[in-house]
Amino acid sequence: MADTLGVFEQAVMLAIVRLGNDAYGRAILNEMQVRMNRDIAAGAVHATLNRLEKKRLLASRVEPGTPIRSGRARRFYRLQPRGVRALNDAWNAVEGLWRGLKRPLKRSLQTQRGS
Amino acid sequence: MTTNATPPSWAELALRAFLSERDFESASGDLLEEYRENIYGNRGQLRADVWYVAQVFGFAWRHAGVWAVIFAVAFLARTAMDWHMPTADFQTRAAVSTLVGIGIFLVTGFWAGSRSGSYIAGAVVGLAIGTLALPIQLVGAGLLLAGSHDPSVLTAIRSSGGLEEVFTMPLMTVIPGLLFGAIGGVLGAKTRRLRTSGDALSP
Repeated sequence: MADTLGVFEQAVMLAIVRLGNDAYGRAILNEMQVRMNRDIAAGAVHATLNRLEKKRLLASRVEPGTPIRSGRARRFYRLQPRGVRALNDAWNAVEGLWRGLKRPLKRSLQTQRGS
Repeated sequence: MTTNATPPSWAELALRAFLSERDFESASGDLLEEYRENIYGNRGQLRADVWYVAQVFGFAWRHAGVWAVIFAVAFLARTAMDWHMPTADFQTRAAVSTLVGIGIFLVTGFWAGSRSGSYIAGAVVGLAIGTLALPIQLVGAGLLLAGSHDPSVLTAIRSSGGLEEVFTMPLMTVIPGLLFGAIGGVLGAKTRRLRTSGDALSP
């Protein structure tokens, strides 16, 4: 069965796609904050990365840390083929839901339903 | 702006309790990098420290929140039973609910110690569970009382220890939480070290 992704999971995975070889925890967090235009807890991103890695949608490798991190290692993430499939499925599902509708929806639709 | 400033060491210590050794290295490094490169320069020491503690709280909630809710629900269930299904044998009830509470702290403490390898991880997790459960228990007990306070319930409350006990008990469970969490944590960390040294010795 295909993996179903939540919106936050999609945001994490798309940040990894955008960052390419530079996708480690802090960079992913910052990329998501810019894209989603809000503060995001590091713990939420960390928990999601762990979950996606356990589901084998992501893989990670560790590289040595820099002095600014007091030498603590950086964990870099990349999408696995299963993750790419899940992201494409997520897009297809949303696109299918919107197909045939004009965007943005007009407010008049809401009033028609209410009347 | 970059700096060599360091976040509160107790917060880093607490963070270690909620993560495995593998995850602590990268997660604490990410937080430290953001703290030094971005937050400290923009917000100053005090607000940067508050930011760091809030991030650690986020990790704590994600790892201990479910257990805090389970602990609080167990307490509220016991309270509701005492109020609505009074019994002459409070000792058995007290023994069961005490064992449930101790069990939660021992198991989560063991889990934290065995995951992080830290001897104090269990104490931190026990303290976190007790503290996170506190507001849920107090608000829940208040709602129970607001929802039902007819004379028979008030009599049952008095005979089961009174309102004072209901609203002070959650505060008093924080210390045993720390204690039993610590015991579980030490056992967990010890088990992990024994396992690791056994792995190292095996051919």
